[in-house]
Amino acid sequence: MSEDDETRGITRRSFLTGTGITVAAAGILKTTEALAESVKGGAAVGPGAVPVSLKVNGSVHQLSLEPSTTLADALRFSIGLTGTKVVCDRGSCSACTVHLDGTPVCSCMTLAVDVGARAVTTIEGLARGDKLTPIQEQFIANDAMQCGFCTPGMVMSCAALLARNNKPSLDEVKTAVSGNLCRCGTYPKVFAAAMAASGQKLPRGSDVVTHAAELHFESKAERPADEPPPWPVNSKLKIVGKSHPRLDGRLKVTGKARYTADVRLPGMLFARRVVSPHPHARVKSIDLSAAERLPGVKAVMIVGRGEGAKLRNPPKVADKFPLVLYAGQAVAAVAATSQSIADEAARLVKVEYERLPFVVELDDARRDGAPLVYPGAVDMGGSAGGGGAQKGLAQKGNVRGPSKRDKGDVDAGLKAAELSVDGEFKTQVQTHSALETHGVVADWREDGLTVYASSQGTTSVRDEFATVFDLPKSKVRIITEFMGGGFGAKFGAGSFGILAAQLSKKAGAPVRLMLDRKEEHLCVGNRPSTVQTVKIGAKKDGSLTGIVVTSWGNSGIATGGGVGWMGTSLYACDNTRSEQYDVFTHTGAAAAFRAPGQPQGAFALEQLMDELAEKIGMDPLALRDKLDAGPGVPGPGGNDEATRAARKAERQIGAERFGWSKRRPAGADGGPKKRGIGMAQSMWGRFVDLDASCEVRLHRDGSIEIMSSVQDIGTGTRTALAMVVAEELGVRVEDVAVKIGDTQYPAGPSSGGSKTLLGITAPARVAAWRIKEQLYKAVGEQARSMPLKKAAAKMTTEHLSAQASRSPDYGGDPHGGYGGVQFAEVVVDVETGVVKVERMVAVHDCGRVLNPLAVQSQINGGILHGISYALYEERHMDRATGRMVNANLDQYKIAGAKETPEIEVVLIDQYIGRNATDIHGIGEPANIPTAAAIANAVYNAIGVRVRELPMNPPALLAALGKVNRVKEAKR
Amino acid sequence: MKSFEWTNAASLDEAIAQLGTGVMVKAGGVDLLDRLKEGLESPRRLVNLRGIGGLDNIRSSTGDDGDLVLGPLTTLAAIEAHAGVRKRFGALAEACAHAATPQIRNMATIGGNLVQRPRCWYFRSADFNCRKKGGEVCFALEGENQYHAIVANKVCAIVHPSSVSTALVAYGATVKLKGKAGERVVPLEQFFVLPDKDPRRENQLGADELITEVRLPAPAKGTGAAYHKQTEKESFDWPLADVAVVLELDGRTCKRASIILGAAAPVPWRAKSSEAILGGRAVDEHAAEAAANAAVQGATPLAKNAYKLPIVRAIVRRTILAAAGGAA
Repeated sequence: MSEDDETRGITRRSFLTGTGITVAAAGILKTTEALAESVKGGAAVGPGAVPVSLKVNGSVHQLSLEPSTTLADALRFSIGLTGTKVVCDRGSCSACTVHLDGTPVCSCMTLAVDVGARAVTTIEGLARGDKLTPIQEQFIANDAMQCGFCTPGMVMSCAALLARNNKPSLDEVKTAVSGNLCRCGTYPKVFAAAMAASGQKLPRGSDVVTHAAELHFESKAERPADEPPPWPVNSKLKIVGKSHPRLDGRLKVTGKARYTADVRLPGMLFARRVVSPHPHARVKSIDLSAAERLPGVKAVMIVGRGEGAKLRNPPKVADKFPLVLYAGQAVAAVAATSQSIADEAARLVKVEYERLPFVVELDDARRDGAPLVYPGAVDMGGSAGGGGAQKGLAQKGNVRGPSKRDKGDVDAGLKAAELSVDGEFKTQVQTHSALETHGVVADWREDGLTVYASSQGTTSVRDEFATVFDLPKSKVRIITEFMGGGFGAKFGAGSFGILAAQLSKKAGAPVRLMLDRKEEHLCVGNRPSTVQTVKIGAKKDGSLTGIVVTSWGNSGIATGGGVGWMGTSLYACDNTRSEQYDVFTHTGAAAAFRAPGQPQGAFALEQLMDELAEKIGMDPLALRDKLDAGPGVPGPGGNDEATRAARKAERQIGAERFGWSKRRPAGADGGPKKRGIGMAQSMWGRFVDLDASCEVRLHRDGSIEIMSSVQDIGTGTRTALAMVVAEELGVRVEDVAVKIGDTQYPAGPSSGGSKTLLGITAPARVAAWRIKEQLYKAVGEQARSMPLKKAAAKMTTEHLSAQASRSPDYGGDPHGGYGGVQFAEVVVDVETGVVKVERMVAVHDCGRVLNPLAVQSQINGGILHGISYALYEERHMDRATGRMVNANLDQYKIAGAKETPEIEVVLIDQYIGRNATDIHGIGEPANIPTAAAIANAVYNAIGVRVRELPMNPPALLAALGKVNRVKEAKR
Repeated sequence: MKSFEWTNAASLDEAIAQLGTGVMVKAGGVDLLDRLKEGLESPRRLVNLRGIGGLDNIRSSTGDDGDLVLGPLTTLAAIEAHAGVRKRFGALAEACAHAATPQIRNMATIGGNLVQRPRCWYFRSADFNCRKKGGEVCFALEGENQYHAIVANKVCAIVHPSSVSTALVAYGATVKLKGKAGERVVPLEQFFVLPDKDPRRENQLGADELITEVRLPAPAKGTGAAYHKQTEKESFDWPLADVAVVLELDGRTCKRASIILGAAAPVPWRAKSSEAILGGRAVDEHAAEAAANAAVQGATPLAKNAYKLPIVRAIVRRTILAAAGGAA
């Protein structure tokens, strides 16, 4: 949109709020003919807005658009059909799929002016009124969605397939969605949905959930008097423990679920940041004048806050502008009446940089004399988790630490060993790559700040805004209705969020600032790359005498590049030492990422445990059985009695289902394609978030609502809360209205550390129980035998309200761990170096299983993340310029439909009786062992250990000795 | 994306007449939009070819067994799905079926596919002023070159982005070009040019020319062909290496071999030594292996892409055997 728009009679406001003049169906035919004419020949039009007619979902819209407007943007911003999502904006992910005359295309790579007479069908146009199409119904029934951001594109791809092929094979389904990326790992359920919609079932595996065992460790500790007694086992409950489709599934498969990227407020401006192309630079000057002069620009500002850790001894005189510490750091920002004006204005900002020496790879940064990220010692709260973030640690050059964890006498332990195994392991940087980029719509007003945020912690985001702007929490409201994936990187306000609020304040209008895909890779976190050495000493009978873990993690400009606590806690050993160092580089801050540190730690530890088993001559499962028979590891995330019992059951069940007994010696296959199997274990801590509150209301008409600020990161939080409340109150799940994702409700937990359900389901049940008690008190004890609705009708007030907060686990600390065992079958092509995962069996415990369907989705997701991490994903940094070269979604490679193995999920119910529900999260434990299990399977296939990730052709062919890789300092 | 003028050309001549500085044509628009969004180019005018009728035909020049003639706006999806193409030009159908994503194959045209710009990540980023954009440096030579060329890579190390052209060149395809001065027919193999001549271009299409036809000669009797694209992922991915093999066979004996490597060089690369080894020989494991080994002899891999050599050897051997096995 250019400055000409006003003169052409189209106000910017009308552009923003949708200029579409919808023509009634009767007029369609004639208009369509006119459209067909308009495609042919004719004079040049534009630049500047030109009339464009689009026939969308049966209605014709007369729009006024720049010729450069994509169909996706026209649909989303001019017509207001925001079900079509833009993710990569380059045709690599198919999230923006629409049908043109029935053919699926990428609307982000189609110009609106080029659509002509072709009929556009969007996700909103599939259903006939309230009647969903079979594929939409099956997406809901099979839970083929988590965060839901890829769902419209997935549905559109499947719908197009089914329209031309009413009995597709599984392979045809996979091909049809082979261009659709999902970051939550819903592929297996998309397959199931597409097959079911055509009256077929998956061959086997993927749609099975089994409760194989029930383990009871009921706590003898007393519970508070104002909490109900523990529920009985699931088989005695009506709702909990039985699969239930998502309550918001319908919104997700119709494109009506509203994400931050879809929010449009009256007068809303669009923002863009000006980012440094240099990884380390001093800003000499910034000239905003050209940007300010551009018509449509409403606010321009210079970034005043630096990023990264805090120097313990900051310089007395600060630079005029914050120092640039990585390529992609923002130095200025603009807000304008359209995104294209904002983009243009950002290009017009002139910044003069003094370039400084930099270092972007882990090994380079560790060297003496490497360019320094920080001139002195720094501190910072760990942004990446996984250790290494304590205050006051030593710092030499770019290396900070170690963060230590010591037990017993490791040197004596190793000396006492009869044999030992050791190795150096390397893992790569993985970017979160949530499909919805980080972003906010910030609305600064006299009476307070409202921020729509793509966030996994509404409360933590609110707290940061309140702190930064010195506002009382009561004047900051965060709304996260739906969010398109976070995986650990969306807890904070973000420097971009702060900028949006500042721009909003300056412009006096709401400001939308969504990062683009490139910024998403650079600026908002990643899983740090690591180098770790691990040594394990043991006796010939397999008992462990000592474990030493030393690691270095590329934490960018932040801290927390550790490798977790797998090495010191998964197996009992009296003598352990863990020393973990952060290494600073001129790259974006590392951040928590789905079980921070643990997949890295498991990759090393579980490979070495297999090596140890082989050296001793034991089966890998037998060695683990032996180790778990001994005393456990106490403490948070430790290997307590309940955990070890669960793990043992999981190994047995998994081995049986997987066919472990058929395991052959390493490298047994002849020919170029070699098959192998392997396993690895997972452990995660039972992290209880006591800051987890909710309110349940019972109205006189018997209707029920539950409210909490807790958000849904893809877990299915709405459904989970409704199930718990419905169970307690004896009503249907659909009868419970769930209101979440808004800080005006009681503070819920952040969705990190797999704490969401472990935090919020217990108070949800307690609040529901309290409502009942209040009701009986209010209307009389005889009401206990009445249906709830009948009793409620006797209430003298309009509603009753009960709040509850998470109480500490009965019996208090220590909280143990929980986890699972995963088995992988791979085929390795030793001539091309390509590894393919064909089958996974995942046996997990997560306390009391609430909704098997949803748990299965989470475990599929953890496995898909793990496969993607193990084999494909890698950030490539150009060492000469310090820039990431694959900040996109085609060369940054994420596992797709055809990388999805057959996954069998087996769940174990574990009742530990330490809170009102016993329900745990599963997001993280499901991701921890996958890469390690694949690595062990690769070894079993080829007889060679691959000690680096990703295990891609360059790594495999090097490990096989088929290519001499030039010695290079990677990562 | 900067704004531009838009015209719908009514005919090829009308489109050609408009070509000039600051004017770009749009067919499927996939690669073009990618570059415009990145800001690599900002044309004054786009000339839309999609409104011109009759440019998306697939036909045989005579009867059912003539040359295969593809209109320049034929989509990759249409080629992939065409029964005649699948039967007689299986390697081409395979190459189309493995290009990009299903959505992109529905949009991308064969003409656009041949003139798309390289996927080199340095070229694709506005942050790098590389040789291809008139700069002085090929950043890939000393930088991140995992996916770059292993031969003819001294000046600019791109690999040609069209995996479809790997198959087309193997079949001996020609392209018809039309410009203000008239028409000419060029073998596709000569259409592409190496960076030594001019690093700023990948082909010899004139500034006022358009591709108006792609033609594949009818295969000789006894022709066997196969195509393989080796990727890391089977879902949408760029090739680490791809190869098309077209063999003219007399029983098991190879009369003539055409072996083209993709993702190996800045142009589709003819493995001449491999072809020579197969010529006149019975195609068996040994011959295939000898030909495969010859395919990468003399290669000059960069610091991070030597791993491509064993991959090329493996897929050339396998694809030769597949072509021989599938001979009609």
